[in-house]
Amino acid sequence: MGVADVIIAGAIVAGACYILYATLWKKKGCCGCEGGSCCKK
Amino acid sequence: MSTQLKHKEEELDAELSGHSAAARTITVAVAGNPNSGKSTLINAIAGTRLHVGNWAGVTVEKKEALFEFGGRKIRLVDLPGTYSLSPYSQEEIVARDYLVHERPDLIINVVDATNLERNLYLTVQIMELGIPVVMALNIYDEATEKGYRIDARAMEEMLGIAVVPTSATKKTGLDELLATALRVADAPKQRAPKKLNYGEDIEVACDYLAKSFRTSYPALIDNYPQRWLLLKLMEQDDHVMKELGLDNLDFLDQALHHLRRAHGEDIESIMADARYSLASGLTREVLHKPELRQTELTEKIDKLVLNRFLGIPIFMAAMWLLFKLTFDLSAPFGDWIGAMTEGPFKRWASAILTPLGAPDWTVSLVNDGIIAGVGSVLVFVPVIFAMMFFITFLEGSGYMARAAFVMDRTMHSIGLHGKSFIPMLLGFGCNVPGIYATRTLENPKDKVLTALLVPLMSCGARLPVYVLFVGIFFPSNSSTVIWSLYIMGILLAIGMGLIFKRTLFRGEAPMFIMELPPYRMPSLHSLCVHTWEKGKHFLFKAGTYIFAVSVLVWFLLNLPWGVEHKRDSYLGQAGAAIAPIFQPVGFGTWEAASSLITGVIAKEIVVGTMGEIYAPKKDEKKEVPTLQEDLKEVATSFGEACVKAVKTLLYLPQAEEQEEDRAGLKAAIGGSFTPLSAYAFMAFVLLYMPCVVAIAAMRQEFGTWKWAGVGLLYQTALAWGAALIIYQGGRLLGLGG
Repeated sequence: MGVADVIIAGAIVAGACYILYATLWKKKGCCGCEGGSCCKK
Repeated sequence: MSTQLKHKEEELDAELSGHSAAARTITVAVAGNPNSGKSTLINAIAGTRLHVGNWAGVTVEKKEALFEFGGRKIRLVDLPGTYSLSPYSQEEIVARDYLVHERPDLIINVVDATNLERNLYLTVQIMELGIPVVMALNIYDEATEKGYRIDARAMEEMLGIAVVPTSATKKTGLDELLATALRVADAPKQRAPKKLNYGEDIEVACDYLAKSFRTSYPALIDNYPQRWLLLKLMEQDDHVMKELGLDNLDFLDQALHHLRRAHGEDIESIMADARYSLASGLTREVLHKPELRQTELTEKIDKLVLNRFLGIPIFMAAMWLLFKLTFDLSAPFGDWIGAMTEGPFKRWASAILTPLGAPDWTVSLVNDGIIAGVGSVLVFVPVIFAMMFFITFLEGSGYMARAAFVMDRTMHSIGLHGKSFIPMLLGFGCNVPGIYATRTLENPKDKVLTALLVPLMSCGARLPVYVLFVGIFFPSNSSTVIWSLYIMGILLAIGMGLIFKRTLFRGEAPMFIMELPPYRMPSLHSLCVHTWEKGKHFLFKAGTYIFAVSVLVWFLLNLPWGVEHKRDSYLGQAGAAIAPIFQPVGFGTWEAASSLITGVIAKEIVVGTMGEIYAPKKDEKKEVPTLQEDLKEVATSFGEACVKAVKTLLYLPQAEEQEEDRAGLKAAIGGSFTPLSAYAFMAFVLLYMPCVVAIAAMRQEFGTWKWAGVGLLYQTALAWGAALIIYQGGRLLGLGG
């Protein structure tokens, strides 16, 4: 695995972690099913 | 006078009053009882322009729409459905605060014409605010069908507000409602609602209070609707008293002294009586019901479904039928999605990435990580949408309210009432809104206890796990096995409720009135809209955190780099470390343990992780079809799925076929579990700690980690205990190992 691979892999992992952070934590949990409203504070 | 002339005259009035009527946006608040058809009416008026959000600082849903009608801009604000404006529940506080502080130009009061008296109680309270009101006499078609005659003109005269008969489901009367709303909003002074007379005693006390209050607090009285404020002061409304910083008002005691002596009751009851008397009197004046010669259909059905002995068995049977229809209809489409993700999608991903010079590991990440992980969950989207459709049907038909009523007796045995069953029923869709729905309960203890029990209701996210396992181990009894898991959740919720009520939450269950709306046939449009609202969350999850977790799981299964066997990967090592805990419950493998670790994010990720762990090795020798052949396969297999679903629905015989979809995953799971350990595993997935979103919801709802922690610990212990009893008990009974 070369340096380029490590950088790409790192970027992908960081992106995935950011998606998790943004959807689960930053918005205090997802909105649930009923109208999807609780995300929108 | 013609309508046009009248309209022109009112526009002139508006211009004289100093503002150009056409230029400004008219804010219209929509208020009404739950089940008055308010949501259907708003959906019918606003359609796709509806924006869903939250009321500031609370988790009560807020719907708003901005649109043009008759060349005028209207901002429609949907208030939470309430029976009164008394500050008992979060919904009532939100609705009341908005009307008092935001002062919309107009209130559309949605009234259920088939339930006039009860709905008018809210109307009477709304009129106290002095804001122009237009009444939407909704569900008018049903009232007419029942033979009710409602004299709308007489009602207009008595209340001093415009009354427009509407039917939101049939979309009739809506244009007239909006046109009337515009006319009333343009001439607010001429259209102010009448001051209703609550009887001499109350009115005298109110006048005395008005004079004294104006002398003592002249600034306050101008900032609030005067009559409303005076009535609230008379009721000694805590919420208002606190807001105004008032305490121990001598003149208030004097004003109420006579009332108390004359009526011998507390002031709140006197006021409620006065309002109910008005609503009742008004109903007698305007509503003419036909003589009932035979029991109405709703009453006939209720005699059966609310029967003391038959109620619960009928509820169980309804749930079983729901599962049966759900799985029979959706299975062919799930198989179709599975075949697509396993075949064409992976081939197309490779065909795109390889010529671009993407490293082999990225192709594997996309195929064995993202497509295998997200695809494993997408397979169950048809099941989830089908189930949400049937649950919405039961809700819309009025049966779900009966289910709560039927469960009332059982709920009382655990110190709760039937109203607590409503958040639990919501929990069948998704536990998160179920936890938020505990806000409708008045008693703080009930809220916490109900929220602790909601995660025991089997949400849609657990379905993919059940469907995968029953497909492998119980193909001929799939509906019954899944139904048994749902029932297990309900029974354990009752058991845990009993334990909690005797330990952490001692106290009597309060009494309440439960509304049983008449049975209705929900419209297809309304069913589709609500099914989408309930189900879209799963698509959102697949596109966001299931996608992200699939990527991370792939890395955890392939690190340290170049790892030969998945068992030696980081995730495999973590799974192997905790696997011994699951040995006594029948699934002490690192694969099962690893799936349970990632399933904490969301329960359906258990399946996604298994999809990645058991991803079959590539068969390089297999002939690769062309793009044209792939597209043909996508279309024809979808057609076959449709035919299969229709045949299943009509109970037509079907040709036996060898199922090849996700065969690798099914074979691998089939080799790692027995039917008994598979059932124990499903029970564990049902019961073990709530997903992180549900935990976050509990934290948000109760402002402390304490109850989220209690839920997490007790559920995980319960899950392990239940799985142990199932597995070891089953072995003792000779049901396999």
